[in-house]
Amino acid sequence: MSEPVKLSRRNFMQAAIWGFGGLIGIGFGVPAVAYVVGPSLISKQTQAWMRLGSISKVEVGTPTLFTYTVEIQTGWIASTEEISVYVLSTDGRTFIAMSNICTHLGCHIRWIAEQKQFFCPCHNGVFDNAGNVVAGPPPRPLDRYDVKVEDGQLFVLVGG
Amino acid sequence: MISKINRWLDERTSWHQIWEVIFLRKIPKVNWFYTLGSASLFVAINQAITGILLTIYYVPTPDHAYDSVQYITTQVPLGWLIRGLHHWGASVMIVLVVLHMLRVILFGAYKFPREVTWFTGVILLLVVIGFGFTGYLLPWDQKSFWATTVGTQIAGTPPLIGEYLLRIIRGGTEISAVTLVRFFGTHVWVLPSLLLLLIGVHLFLVIRNGISATPKRGR
Repeated sequence: MSEPVKLSRRNFMQAAIWGFGGLIGIGFGVPAVAYVVGPSLISKQTQAWMRLGSISKVEVGTPTLFTYTVEIQTGWIASTEEISVYVLSTDGRTFIAMSNICTHLGCHIRWIAEQKQFFCPCHNGVFDNAGNVVAGPPPRPLDRYDVKVEDGQLFVLVGG
Repeated sequence: MISKINRWLDERTSWHQIWEVIFLRKIPKVNWFYTLGSASLFVAINQAITGILLTIYYVPTPDHAYDSVQYITTQVPLGWLIRGLHHWGASVMIVLVVLHMLRVILFGAYKFPREVTWFTGVILLLVVIGFGFTGYLLPWDQKSFWATTVGTQIAGTPPLIGEYLLRIIRGGTEISAVTLVRFFGTHVWVLPSLLLLLIGVHLFLVIRNGISATPKRGR
């Protein structure tokens, strides 16, 4: 509309209706977006050292499976989840801790003792005992945790 | 630019003709009581929007219904607002449709040729009450449980068919998971489909027949 419009009663009412309609639309639209998106944006991750267990359990040269449990709150449901960590030591003094989550698309890998390799059942991803990709689609080695040893106990840094 | 797009669309859809029939139709001189139908429609749309939003978090099972409603109310951003709009909208809806009905009765607007509009309106009233009855159970708290106990018990009072009616409504002899989920299904699928269909017919007839003028003294 380029030509100036005379503000008649009809035009005023029309503008008012569109204006109020728009306000009501925003009044529904904005809360709706906040309501739908809101819980997705909450991040309550904090860093913590989780105790895996005694270093004496680690077999030298072979990745050893440790687990720890975390309490998680999803929506209105509180539950516990068991998280798996593979720990490898080649000398019994230094340790690397690896996530069991495949770097391809997030399936759980497991150690196949006969082949001395990690295997992911989803798309045949294969990793060696230090988590390096040997075959298949994974784009990078297995993720590692920061490790510390206190009084013969193994800890990994999780979260954050 | 916009008028160009409008013309392009109009050439292919004749939407402007439809727009004119719906929004630019001639109406007699009326008063504010004639807005009660539109007000009911507005609140119905509010119920639809907020109701759809509530189903994003609500879970209709005995072990999750109450908790998911609490989650909506206390944890989800503006969840209290969405639930509040749906909760209070439900009561407003009943008030508005009853006032709308009274206006139609008192102004004699149900008479020829608008009887069928009136019939669909009567069924719409029952549908709205059905919404209220089924929706009341969904929060699954003490109030909803006992209100539904009483409400379904009343359905069980007619002779001969009463007991069957009661069991059909509850999906068994007790109020259970089966009751909750069938009330939910009725509330979000059956009744909305009916409501949409009936509102469509109702509004078509309102537009087709035009609205009645205010009754004049001595006629």
